[in-house]
Amino acid sequence: MARIVLEKVTKTFGTAEVIPPLDLTIEDGEFTVFVGPSGCGKSTLLRLIAGLEETTSGRVLIDGGDVTEVSPSKRGLAMVFQTYALYPHMTVRKNIAFPMRMAGLSQAEQDQRVEVAAESLNLTDYLDRKPAQLSGGQRQRVAIGRAIVRDPSAFLFDEPLSNLDAALRVGMRVEITEMHARMKTTMIYVTHDQVEAMTMADRIVVLRAGVIEQVGTPLELYRTPRNTFVAGFIGSPKMNLLEGSEARKHGAHTLGIRPEHIDVVDSGGLWSGTVGVAEHLGSDTFFHVHDTGLTEKLMVRAVGDVALRHGDKIHLNPRTHELHRFDAAGLRMP
Amino acid sequence: MSDRRLPRLLQTPAVVLLLIWMIVPLSMTLFFSFIRYVLNSLRRPEWTEPSLSNWRGFGNYNYVLNNNDFLLAVQNSLLIVCSIVLLTVILGVLIAVLINKAFPGRSIVRVLLISPFFVMPAVNAVLWINMILDPVLGLQGLAVEGLNGTLQNLRAAPGIGWFFSLWPELQPISFRATQTSAYAVIIMVTWQWTPFAVLIFMTSLQSEDQQQKEAAVLDGAGVWSQFRFLTLPHLSRPIAIVVMIQAIFHLSLYAEIEIVSRGNGNKNLPYLIGEFANNNIGAASATGIFAVILANIIAIFLLRMIGKTLME
Amino acid sequence: MGIVSETSTFTKILRPVLAWSVGILFFFPIFWMVLTSFKTDADAVKPEFLFFFTPTLENYLNMTENYDYWRFAQNSVITSVFATAGALAVAIPCAYAMAFNPSRATKDVLMWMLSTKMLPAAAVLYPMTFLTKSLGLFDTHFMVIIVLMLINLPIVVWMLFTYFKEIPREIIEAGQMDGVTTWGEIREILIPLAWGGIASTALLCFIFCWNEAYWTVRLTTTDAATLSKLIEGNRAPEGLFFGRLSAVSAAAVGPIVVLGWFCQKQLVQGLTFGAVK
Repeated sequence: MARIVLEKVTKTFGTAEVIPPLDLTIEDGEFTVFVGPSGCGKSTLLRLIAGLEETTSGRVLIDGGDVTEVSPSKRGLAMVFQTYALYPHMTVRKNIAFPMRMAGLSQAEQDQRVEVAAESLNLTDYLDRKPAQLSGGQRQRVAIGRAIVRDPSAFLFDEPLSNLDAALRVGMRVEITEMHARMKTTMIYVTHDQVEAMTMADRIVVLRAGVIEQVGTPLELYRTPRNTFVAGFIGSPKMNLLEGSEARKHGAHTLGIRPEHIDVVDSGGLWSGTVGVAEHLGSDTFFHVHDTGLTEKLMVRAVGDVALRHGDKIHLNPRTHELHRFDAAGLRMP
Repeated sequence: MSDRRLPRLLQTPAVVLLLIWMIVPLSMTLFFSFIRYVLNSLRRPEWTEPSLSNWRGFGNYNYVLNNNDFLLAVQNSLLIVCSIVLLTVILGVLIAVLINKAFPGRSIVRVLLISPFFVMPAVNAVLWINMILDPVLGLQGLAVEGLNGTLQNLRAAPGIGWFFSLWPELQPISFRATQTSAYAVIIMVTWQWTPFAVLIFMTSLQSEDQQQKEAAVLDGAGVWSQFRFLTLPHLSRPIAIVVMIQAIFHLSLYAEIEIVSRGNGNKNLPYLIGEFANNNIGAASATGIFAVILANIIAIFLLRMIGKTLME
Repeated sequence: MGIVSETSTFTKILRPVLAWSVGILFFFPIFWMVLTSFKTDADAVKPEFLFFFTPTLENYLNMTENYDYWRFAQNSVITSVFATAGALAVAIPCAYAMAFNPSRATKDVLMWMLSTKMLPAAAVLYPMTFLTKSLGLFDTHFMVIIVLMLINLPIVVWMLFTYFKEIPREIIEAGQMDGVTTWGEIREILIPLAWGGIASTALLCFIFCWNEAYWTVRLTTTDAATLSKLIEGNRAPEGLFFGRLSAVSAAAVGPIVVLGWFCQKQLVQGLTFGAVK
């Protein structure tokens, strides 16, 4: 169990400043997700915490102790890598036992912990196979198993699901969330997928260019994005961001409205336009609406199957209390 | 922090060893090239000690440049290197293209082809100059003798004998003479290094874009156009690398020259240095510096080429 | 395979015939050497015994007597084995550090190492003779080992570096998280993973050491003289001893040619420094 604090941490590669001074506290037992577009520094931040990268300046504290200069293995953290990073020349059993062997645990203790981990991860039948003989999902489990047996004070996940196919990804997402609920260990999870972030996190840290744009629970980010970047990044389909006269009408530079907060009405309505592409998912229908006079393309999400097709006229009514107002700097207005 | 520094420390032995290996002898060569330094001199015994008081400035360089042997050696070095490189590249491309496609026994042919490359240079030279190229007892001599024998028999034949008596007898070529020994060296080294070129070009051909070729076939390109416009450009980089690696290796060619042409006046730079080093260390060192300069000119191009692919 | 092509005479007959001819032509000198090694010295130069003769093992049986072959062979084995081992011992940690903890200087260091390989050996001939003689190392195994090790070190580092770079960085990092020491990392992860690459690097280095023919010829006389020196010393038999010379030559190159067959692929990587794949 660990509370992780970053104090004025910076990282530069050569002349490129990847992380400008950054402060962040991750509370004990919390499931924190770092999310942001690729190249935003989220993986670097995770690696700084792990100790796989040296900080250029600033301090990393775990449970109050300064670990900035401590080597990765002595920080008491475990990491699950994007490519799983299993040792291909060792069996599953040896892979899982490896950190314990390095720590000098007794053989009996190692065996016992491997059995327990394998049991909980459904790997018992595969213990004597090599990683190459396993499926992607099984490899992922082995990687998690290797992390669990160390009994770490925190788990670090670096985009662990991005190499899995879509169906497996959803399953593993649930498993990891359940694992956290069971173990209540601090977890830091890096992803570029906002759906993963929203579904798994206790708290989300949105990053852009090494800068924290917002920290908050999933619903806080959804309801009150601090700026246009977070507004556009969280939620799917993306929030519509309108500039110009409609925004000025509400005294803002940019006006944000989520697709699901625009109602399709039969007639009347504040806005209207022409349906471009209509994506019928059955449970929902997404409309790409053109010629609204608001923006080039307005996304609208309607519940259920709405029988409007390409080229049809569409009438829309935004829920005015769900409007988000942003100023010229892109910051949220009260 | 010790965890971080240790990995860097691991490079130290290799770097230090190579640094010593490069700097110490080379700076000695540089120093010797500027002083009068001979191994034996009854007249000037003070020159037999490497000392600053024997400073000669560029005198050794002057001496070497004005020495006929030096010009000959440079010429010969270049002749040998250029001929070998040209031959191996042409043969290499042809053979690589020939065996790039599957045919019965391809892997055996590959093994046969690559074998010469692993023969030690000394054996290569002894084998060729004696058992193959010797004008009397080598295969060459035996072949010439055999043909001449046949000719003799034909001349004795009734009726048509007069026709064959118009034919001159064949003369075997001696490859140990000053004028011809370079050919022997070129032949034996080409034999040894063509397999290397073949191997590299074949490796490169394996990575040739097959879809591109298929597209070219659909576009109506014939075999020759495919070779000319797709394969050859694809091979340009490996060719450049083969040329430069060979240039560097063959500039230091020694054992072959030593075995084939010892004492007959046919020298290349390393051989000349060896000769000077028997007594005139100053001149040997100055020649050595010239050899370094020559090699560096080629090396710079090679390093540029390799550097590009290094960190991708 | 992909393209439907009219099966021409060329692909069906001419290509195999040509390819086989080229292969046989290139192998012929080696074949000839081996063949001659089974002839008596007298038969070896007689045209009537070119291909048909009574084979004899006499040349091989008398190799010790004629050339003291085994002493030279022993020197070749000792120097090549120890030089290869030494080069690996120095190069593995170095290549490991370069592949997994690269700094901005790494590329330059690698380039510089390569450039040392390009110095013509002859340029430092006298200094080397001078140094080895004044250190009392002339014609010693130790000196030959050191020199062979140093001239091959750049290639060994380079080959290992290209192999190590193929190991995913994350596996090494996983090891760091799991608490391996640097030595543990090399022993437990790097060496088992790159075993194939290390073996072929060693093989190639061994071949280069075995065939080296400048320093082994110039810096030895008898005690540490290798097979290169032996053959070089018997360069001109003037047709007197073709049989026995062939035998000793075949014995000198045979094992290496066979070893070479097993590392053709690595040869490309090793000699082009990974620039041709």
